[in-house]
Amino acid sequence: MLLSLRGIDKRYFGVHALKSVDFDVGTAEVHALVGENGAGKSTLIKVIAGAEQPDEGEIFVDGEQVTIHSTQDAFRLGVATVYQEPQVFPDLSVVENVFLGRELRDAVGNVDAAAQRRRVRELLSELHLEPRLAGRRMGDLSLAEQQLVLICKALAQEARLIIYDEPSAILTQRETDTLFGVIRRLKERGVATIYISHRLEEIFEIAERVTIMKDGEVVATRPRRELTVGQVIELMAGRQLHAAHPREAPAGAAPALRVAGLTRSGHFEDVDFEVARGEIVGFFGLIGSGATDVAHAIYGIDPADSGTIELEGRKIRVGKPKQAVQHGIALLPKDRKTQGLFLPLPIDFNIAAGNYRLLSWLHAIVFRSRERAAARPLMKSLGVKAPGPGTQAGALSGGNQQKVLLARLLVGRPKVVILDEPTRGVDVDAKEEIHRLIFQLADGGTAVIVISSELPEALKLADRLIVVRSGRIHSVYRRGEVKSAAVLGAAIGDEGAVNGGSPDGGS
Amino acid sequence: MAAPNQTAPAVADLLPRIRGYGWREALEAREATIAVVLVVMCTVMSIAYPQFRTLGNAQNILQAVAMTAIVGVGMTMVIVSGGIDVSVGSALSVCAVVVGMRLQDGAGVVEAIAVALAVGTAIGLLNGLLIGVGRIHSIIVTFGMLNILRVVSFKATGGKWLSGVPGSLSYFNDGTLLWLPFAWWMAMALGAVATYYLWRRPTGRHLYALGGNPETARLAGVAVLRRTIFVYAITGLFVGVASIVYVGGNTVIQTNVGVGFELRVIAAVVIGGTSILGGKGTVIGTLLGALLVGTIENALVVVNAKALYTGVILGGLILLTVGLDMLRRRARET
Repeated sequence: MLLSLRGIDKRYFGVHALKSVDFDVGTAEVHALVGENGAGKSTLIKVIAGAEQPDEGEIFVDGEQVTIHSTQDAFRLGVATVYQEPQVFPDLSVVENVFLGRELRDAVGNVDAAAQRRRVRELLSELHLEPRLAGRRMGDLSLAEQQLVLICKALAQEARLIIYDEPSAILTQRETDTLFGVIRRLKERGVATIYISHRLEEIFEIAERVTIMKDGEVVATRPRRELTVGQVIELMAGRQLHAAHPREAPAGAAPALRVAGLTRSGHFEDVDFEVARGEIVGFFGLIGSGATDVAHAIYGIDPADSGTIELEGRKIRVGKPKQAVQHGIALLPKDRKTQGLFLPLPIDFNIAAGNYRLLSWLHAIVFRSRERAAARPLMKSLGVKAPGPGTQAGALSGGNQQKVLLARLLVGRPKVVILDEPTRGVDVDAKEEIHRLIFQLADGGTAVIVISSELPEALKLADRLIVVRSGRIHSVYRRGEVKSAAVLGAAIGDEGAVNGGSPDGGS
Repeated sequence: MAAPNQTAPAVADLLPRIRGYGWREALEAREATIAVVLVVMCTVMSIAYPQFRTLGNAQNILQAVAMTAIVGVGMTMVIVSGGIDVSVGSALSVCAVVVGMRLQDGAGVVEAIAVALAVGTAIGLLNGLLIGVGRIHSIIVTFGMLNILRVVSFKATGGKWLSGVPGSLSYFNDGTLLWLPFAWWMAMALGAVATYYLWRRPTGRHLYALGGNPETARLAGVAVLRRTIFVYAITGLFVGVASIVYVGGNTVIQTNVGVGFELRVIAAVVIGGTSILGGKGTVIGTLLGALLVGTIENALVVVNAKALYTGVILGGLILLTVGLDMLRRRARET
């Protein structure tokens, strides 16, 4: 075995991310790693790449025990990682990007630019890529091209194992084909591959063995030939009983929001759905499925090209977020650090931000006292754990930051609340609490839309679950009506391989 | 599995707009633009004003910009690596005052030079250590140093001018070698060494990486701390060199020596095409930038324009060149 992991254990912030994981990669093997979001794939990769240290466990390379303290250590052992977002120097040439930090030198120690260029052109041709790429400025290349250059970099460093972390998420079909050609050629040269992807058809095209992870554990490692797509989905989803949350969807409540024929070309098409007062509608889809884009269209960040949005029976036009807010629509964005929070500023400022219509006198003068007055009860009812309203938002834990954002949305008493990945990056306890708050919110009569790429969460929260695939509504399920494997199959695109799903209606 | 060899054409499609670096890229470079502007301006001025096209006037220009150019060489390395040093004006005054005082006490040429270089390097080293080891942002550190060093030089002289400084360093200011001022020769020599360093030495290339993407540079094995300390120390050393030029030309040293000097240096660097955000730029561009600024200032005197307009033209030039960069970048991205 080229690489063997034994009993790798890792916890962070109360999350048991890896539970005694064993994992092997053979020489020249193409090994796929699959699992739902949060299954532990990324953590495992980080341990191998030296970006994280395991709490327990042993790592062997060529049968010898090693420790990998840094990415440099991993490089020296011949392990290179190609991340989804290429890490590059945009203003330097392709050649320099390949050799930076490990320059080829001539007799007097100068950078041997000619030798470097020759080597890069060789590598590019070996991979059947255009050798003229060598002289280009890195920043002028597409993300796909940059990924290919980083593969050259790995080869220039004599990598024997290259890890790809969901590369196809940003690649077109044709670019993915190119990448697969490269992986096969590298295999012929004896280079092993760990390939992570959500797209099972890709896994079945390229992989020789498949390891399936779930909840931080390895569920199975089998040769691809012994697996079917359906089996993989069953293994990924497990036999989880999504203990049907005892919640009655409000019967006969008036629809708060109705969306018809919503289309934004290239992002989503013909989206129809409605949310009643007091109802929680879940959107489940893989990353890039278009669910977030639909939310952004309803909130006016990237308005739709066509289609209608009705709020309480009246047609509304939402061209920008300000209009959405005035209509009583609120959005909790996916990335709270860059899209939502002012990290260096106090909690009460963060809660008040955007609500100045309510908290100011004639829109002109803001009273700190009103900010505090608005913040205190919300902090209390949402259970924000902080010394006081003056605490910096950046000092809070992920879960508490999310609650602060939620509090901001609730100041204006919105009719419709859209939550995009509300528990991303928060610990288990905070997650439970946020779920409880979402139920409370709906019980209070608010229409709630939750977007989640974590299946257990989507199944737990949603009164109705809408599965989105490639920008279209694929199917709709009612609470407690469906097995998780069927939903996962619908989202991934192989419901035919799964027995027992009962898609209801659909689009 | 048999890999069908159908991927090669797909790759060709991937790369529709391939082209290497040729004469077109060279012409698009900022250095070429400035060189052309310089040539055109000198031609026009020479035809219209006979007094502009004298050897003496050319020497005046070169002598006037030498100090900016010398410190600009170091500043280019600092800015390329993603930092900035706004303390060079005050550092210049400390160096000049110390050297002036040593000369008054009867120090010889060699000692004066050694003192200038030592004081300059020490200041630069301190900047580099605070920024590199202390991990404080460069603009904060050097802005603090700008104020502190100004007080230091004021205190050293007791707030009075140093007068009657012996002229033993005057060759470094107005001496000429092969028709050009010696100070300008020094600027070109330092520029040549720095160009070689930035272009061919691995650690020189690392400065570009550092300015382009610090985290990735660290992961790629660039010695971030050592490079950081190095660029500020070198800039300090070059400030020491510039102070020799300054003291050589002045028998009276005022305490406000070098006020605003940092802005002239940064202007030359930025006009010369170095990205203020780091990761991109050349020393040749900086030397040309300094020359352009000096030539414009000289031309304004020759045409008898008010000195006030210098600031307008300098400021306009910075906005124009940086604005052009932004436009070019946006055009490339769309």
